[in-house]
Amino acid sequence: MAKEIIVIDDEKIVCNMCQKVLEAEGYQVETFTDSVQALDRIREKRFDVVVTDLKMEKVSGMDILREVNERYPDTKVIMLTAYATLDAAIEAIREKIFDFFPKPVKIEDLKRSIKKALQS
Amino acid sequence: MMLTIRQRTIIAAISQAVLICIICAFVYLSFRTIISKLRTIEIIDDLNIAVLEMRKAEKNYFLYKDAGAIAELIVLGQEELQGIQEEKSYISSNLGQKTYNDLETKIKQYVEMANFIKGNPKVAPDLESRFRDLGHQLTTLFALLLKQERKNVNHIIMLGVVTLIVVLGLLLLFQLVLWRYFSRLIIQELATMEPLIAKVSEGRFHEVAVAPITPHNEIGIAIKAISDMARELEKREGQLLQSEKLASLGVLISGVVHELGNPLNNISLMAQTYLSLYDMLGDEEKKNFMGDILNQSERIRKIMHNLLDFSRQKKQELEEHDPGKLVDTSLSLVINHMKLANVELHKTIAPDLPRLYVDAPQIEQVLINLYVNAIQAMPEGGDLYVEVDRDPDRDAVIIRVRDTGHGIPQDILPNIFDPFFSTKGTKGTGLGLSVSYGIIRQHDGEITVESQEGQGTTFTIRLPCRGKQEGETDGQRNHRD
Repeated sequence: MAKEIIVIDDEKIVCNMCQKVLEAEGYQVETFTDSVQALDRIREKRFDVVVTDLKMEKVSGMDILREVNERYPDTKVIMLTAYATLDAAIEAIREKIFDFFPKPVKIEDLKRSIKKALQS
Repeated sequence: MMLTIRQRTIIAAISQAVLICIICAFVYLSFRTIISKLRTIEIIDDLNIAVLEMRKAEKNYFLYKDAGAIAELIVLGQEELQGIQEEKSYISSNLGQKTYNDLETKIKQYVEMANFIKGNPKVAPDLESRFRDLGHQLTTLFALLLKQERKNVNHIIMLGVVTLIVVLGLLLLFQLVLWRYFSRLIIQELATMEPLIAKVSEGRFHEVAVAPITPHNEIGIAIKAISDMARELEKREGQLLQSEKLASLGVLISGVVHELGNPLNNISLMAQTYLSLYDMLGDEEKKNFMGDILNQSERIRKIMHNLLDFSRQKKQELEEHDPGKLVDTSLSLVINHMKLANVELHKTIAPDLPRLYVDAPQIEQVLINLYVNAIQAMPEGGDLYVEVDRDPDRDAVIIRVRDTGHGIPQDILPNIFDPFFSTKGTKGTGLGLSVSYGIIRQHDGEITVESQEGQGTTFTIRLPCRGKQEGETDGQRNHRD
């Protein structure tokens, strides 16, 4: 059964590109530009990997991370961010994060990270 | 010569003390005169009684033929003479030397005559009328003196009372003049502080700081202290502005990084996807990729353009404009947009507004920005109130833009004028209000915001009324920062 990945970013293009690339890898991908809707979806369904932007309106990447860690301890979270501050990185590590990518994201790195996340 | 308040107070106190001493001395002298006059009256009264006794003895001798009476008369006469001589200095100083001499001569004559009559009782009938006449003269003289002295005493007392009243009146008048002089001087000088303090409270430190002040008394020192304080405040304000500038540069840079980071990431992602999925993509999809890349480039260009607008040292083109007309022109550009968004406009423009000396396109840009924000805050439609009025407190015009939209949360309200601060996500650049703020500040005006979540937001612009200023004959003014 195909592994399920959710991608959350308020930039539509990020969602679209991730979907295209990851589906080409054989994963089942759902994308959300609205983080509130994404959070609702996470509450009703478990994903294997969560790829989320850090800075979003209403619900932030950190909120998503906390929710996922609480509900599904073995789901891996990968964070993307436009500008990585040390504070944000430290906070994310405390909350048990799998990987952290500053934008612009290299797709090969992202793919490799997801593969590693699913293996561990 | 300018005296300090302390010196003035001392002078006033001394002059008052001197005046009171003079009054006391006068009262003392009056009393002394009265006492001395009363003593004179007493002496004359005593002498008068003695004379009356003499006259009684005289009567007894002549009418009742009492031979012993003449001896009694002589004793009385000598006692009288002795009495008058004892009080010689007193009487002569109070009644005059002449009166004294007259009295003494007459008494001496009387006693001599009595002695003669005693020695020659037979000649007595011849002398009787002359002797009695002398006695009568003495009685009349004493009665006259007594009456005169009593009159004198009354006169002196009256004079004393009148003078006392006059002097007290003068003292009161002096006090009044002194008080007026003091209060006028002090209040006048205190009044000079008032506009200075008002200027400081309005933040016009420079005007206070440059005023030349040479303190000549305590109030002058206080005024100088205010001026020094204003100078210090001006300096601090400058430092604060500088640090605020640096801080906003930091905000600006992090904003730029974040704003440009997103489209850059998008372009990068699309290029990577395009390359890695090239064989799997259809022609239409490839075109879409390139179109999206162009859109993202356009987004970057727009951010850079806004940024340039934000930082450019533009020259203001200042001209006189009717505030109502500025509002009308700006509204005409968004009226269609408003209708589509189901927003109803309520416009109130007060009559006879003063003309504003402003850069019209800039002010219109600010107003349009506020209208667009208001419309976006009312996605379900609503009411937009635009009011133009005169500021009752200052020589300024107020433009108020009020919406009935979702409002701004209190915690982010202080940040809304920060560059790159946006609540609109990818739809806004976060520069609109920041640019508006800068434009209004450059017009020496102010823009403030009040908001209640769920009820709406009100932006208030205050623009000072001013004419063409000196040195601006070309109608241009350089931005100050």
